[in-house]
Amino acid sequence: MEVGQMQGRLVDYTKSLFMEGFLDGQFLQLQQLQDESNPDFVVEVVSLFFDDSEKLLNDLTMALDQPNVDFKKVDAHVHQLKGSSSSIGAQRVKNGCIAFRNFCEEQNIEACLRCLQQVKQEYYLVKNKLEALFRLEQQIVAAGGSIPMMEMGF
Amino acid sequence: MAPSENLAPAGRANTGNGGGAPNGVEKQQRCQFNEVVLRNRLTALLVDGNRFCRTIEQGLLRAYGVETLAVDNGRAAVELIASGVKFNLIVIDMLLPILNGLEATRQIRAMGVRCKMLGVTACSYEREREAFLAAGVDVFIEKPLSPEILVPILRELDGQ
Repeated sequence: MEVGQMQGRLVDYTKSLFMEGFLDGQFLQLQQLQDESNPDFVVEVVSLFFDDSEKLLNDLTMALDQPNVDFKKVDAHVHQLKGSSSSIGAQRVKNGCIAFRNFCEEQNIEACLRCLQQVKQEYYLVKNKLEALFRLEQQIVAAGGSIPMMEMGF
Repeated sequence: MAPSENLAPAGRANTGNGGGAPNGVEKQQRCQFNEVVLRNRLTALLVDGNRFCRTIEQGLLRAYGVETLAVDNGRAAVELIASGVKFNLIVIDMLLPILNGLEATRQIRAMGVRCKMLGVTACSYEREREAFLAAGVDVFIEKPLSPEILVPILRELDGQ
């Protein structure tokens, strides 16, 4: 596949992630922070997001598995995940956390467990999508091409 | 980034000859950071317990040329301010380890610190907003901290 076709495929794939709500404009802001002095910024912060989120999801699983659930602790973990997912632009994960916080407030264990499953699902979906995005970028660079920047004009 | 530099637009990193961009693909310059030129050297303290969020927010502040120091808990922020270090801007989260953002903000204000404080948090309930403002932050911002919110504040601090 020639570079132009690969670039087109990347653009289409990236657009689909926005159209389907996996990512929002904050992800574009992160891309803006990447430059020649910081060429791997996006990949690095996304990796940090993955590490951070997986730890938080494990902590949430353990916290909700206790005989006496400490909802303050659960809320603190959800708060962290909401903050990081909104900061990377992982819109569906963030929205899941909003619902999750509401159920923590109500101390509704069953609903919290459902939210946890939902947030986990959304997290693994966006993780897969981002990994696929980076693979497409790597293919373009390996073929000697450049990565086109996206605008939110679609 | 010194404010007086004429910064070259930067696209994404690449190792090749640029390839041929297909029709409809738009190359975007990193112009939004170049458009904001600060005359003065501004300093900011960032207080966030989440390493990821600190990285993002620090990256954003530094992109505008703001010299930024970050700490990961409220007590460290209070101790730093108490030691006499001054900042033009403090960006502080509400939920923090060791000493929470509400109490840290109160203690910083009680020291007579009058610099701009932004409460940047994932908290979004109205009662949380009211509490943070009552503690002493000037602006309550639900994460993420975006250029649209940050730029007018930086310009104001810069006296523009």
